[in-house]
Amino acid sequence: MKNRIFSILCQNIPGVMMRITRDFTRRQINLDSITVGVEPSGLARIILMFRADDHMAEFMQKVLTRLEPIIKVDVIDPEEGVVRVVALIKTKKLAGDEHWKVVEKIERAGGKIVDSSGGAILAELSGDNEEVENIINALGREIVTEVARSGRVYISKKIG
Amino acid sequence: MVEMNGSKALFEALNAEGVKHIFGIPGGSVIPIYDALFDEKKIVHILTRHEQGAAHAADGYARASGKPGVCLTTSGPGATNLTTGILNAYMDNSPVVAISGQVTSSAIGTDAFQEADMLSLMLPITKHNFIIHKVKDLPAIVKTAFDVATAGRPGPVHIDIPKNTQNEKADLKIPATVKHEKVLKMQPTPGEIGRAIEMLAHARQPVIYAGGGVVWSNASPELVALAEMVQTPVVTSLLGKGVIPEDHPLALGMLGMHGRMVANLAVTECDLLFAVGVRFSDRATGDIRHFAPKAKIIHIDIDPVEIGKTIRVDHQIVADAKLALKGIIAGLKSHVQRGRTSEWVKRAEKLRKELAPRTDYDEVPTKPQRAIKEIMSVLSGDAIITTEVGQCQMWAAHFCEIKNPRHFISSGGLGTMGFGFPAAMGAKVACPKNPVINIAGDGSFLMNSQELATVVENEINVVSCILNNRYLGMVKQWQDLFYQKRRSGVGLGKVPDFVKLAEAYGAWGGRASKPSEIAPKLKEALASGKPAVLDIPIDPDENVLPMVPAGGRLDEPILT
Repeated sequence: MKNRIFSILCQNIPGVMMRITRDFTRRQINLDSITVGVEPSGLARIILMFRADDHMAEFMQKVLTRLEPIIKVDVIDPEEGVVRVVALIKTKKLAGDEHWKVVEKIERAGGKIVDSSGGAILAELSGDNEEVENIINALGREIVTEVARSGRVYISKKIG
Repeated sequence: MVEMNGSKALFEALNAEGVKHIFGIPGGSVIPIYDALFDEKKIVHILTRHEQGAAHAADGYARASGKPGVCLTTSGPGATNLTTGILNAYMDNSPVVAISGQVTSSAIGTDAFQEADMLSLMLPITKHNFIIHKVKDLPAIVKTAFDVATAGRPGPVHIDIPKNTQNEKADLKIPATVKHEKVLKMQPTPGEIGRAIEMLAHARQPVIYAGGGVVWSNASPELVALAEMVQTPVVTSLLGKGVIPEDHPLALGMLGMHGRMVANLAVTECDLLFAVGVRFSDRATGDIRHFAPKAKIIHIDIDPVEIGKTIRVDHQIVADAKLALKGIIAGLKSHVQRGRTSEWVKRAEKLRKELAPRTDYDEVPTKPQRAIKEIMSVLSGDAIITTEVGQCQMWAAHFCEIKNPRHFISSGGLGTMGFGFPAAMGAKVACPKNPVINIAGDGSFLMNSQELATVVENEINVVSCILNNRYLGMVKQWQDLFYQKRRSGVGLGKVPDFVKLAEAYGAWGGRASKPSEIAPKLKEALASGKPAVLDIPIDPDENVLPMVPAGGRLDEPILT
């Protein structure tokens, strides 16, 4: 079982996600990440992540391609493009030295402080999933009280 | 552009598609459409007595004619009653366009009276489904629905129409065509054809395995031509029955769990399995590890999902069956292939004769094998046979020698008891000149026997031959074979008097109590000028044998 990423181009109409997810549910595959965006063309782009063996991944690509609103299903090789997740984190109320230490840690890791007016720090992190996970772990679960994380977004390096 | 409401526009769109018949039942949320139907001149509405009957009738209509069958119901229970019939059509790739009324758009989601979330309910059991909230979208959606139902691998499409859309007026025009984002690969590539020809040329013991895809692609002439050209025996799936005349010297019959032994042996021994328009159903393959164990497999199918789904294949052709077969035939003409009557074919022909199942039973009650032989003795090649599901279906599959595609209509994938009778009704409406015979069991027939009212009212003269063993016979057979004869929940006890039942509805009713009475009674039924029910009491202990147990090997059937 390997991690798989599908990039799906489809009509931007209600119900497409339901058509997709039921095809996974039925075959007992858990979706690890779902991201949807609208392309400049007006079509929707869905990025899905899941785990499956080669046979099932190939089969699911064909099953999804068969759905009427779906135009194309590309199997993504993460090496050929950039995969990112974005996380917003909230810390407990911090004061004094502790506050500044955390700010420094976040900024050194490439994070951005979004708000700290209430005493707690709200910060924005991005990177591949592991990087984001590492920052959160480095800060510690004692400090970080809430995490809101996006699904994977992907863009290919290919031109044209 | 003409101003009209959604209901009127629906009939304009159906007329543009050439729809001649609709099977349906009205209800509260579809009255505006029925109001427009009141003025409709070209479309005949057949009022069924249950919506499941309407769905199966539309399915039978589609399978017999090759054209989409249409059914129409109200919201809620009317629409949910369609679901079994729609899934049945989906499993067997039948182009049914189902339309139902829905509560007003603004009431959807409020648990309004007779509201059902049909978009969700129909979604997994249709090729595609729609809900039309705005009347301006209706013409293009109806056109798209028919396109989707018939394009590529056919299948059912459901259209949900809220009442406000049925009433809403707008300036509308029915489009002649609509744009589709999806591009279907219909044509085989030269590479795909070339390799298939090479493989055929090198095979010493080839077998063709043909299914419903050959029927839907109207590729029966090409299939027979190829079989003759390369002198290759042909086995079929249940839904492929008739793609080669079953009295053809190369036709070995159906394979699988209840297949002909010669077909199962041929597949087990072949060195090339040329599969076209089939999906390698578990009922056809048995244990896949021992399916065609010596063979290279070529798989031709229009739906890439089917290729490699359960069976590894050595060569795939994603294409329309007719186009692929034509390409192969054209390529073969330059090859030295003609007239190869090999030892393999001679052996298949010999085995076919030796393993032919027995039908010459004289016992009373009648043996079902003999019953079907007697039924077929009255009919010619133009008769359309529909079946119910279970033992009656498998006896029909075994003993009805079918000569033409679209002349054997049976619920394959879903195995829906109650399908055969309404499907016969649909087939008869589509093909009024052909005799239509439903081979039924007593259990199955009762599941949609209310349609007797429909066939009598509309003079749809189909004949149901009930192989009456007072059991849910196939389950009884499994219990006898695999559950130590613990017959649980399968006895139907005092079944109704089917003669009286038929007569109560105004149909012809008759009974053939011994083998010699079947043919004369069936002739009487066919000549009665009425829909008919012929009750044929059969031996309740007879089983469908030989049988390959579920997951067993095709070459290891249970014989007795």
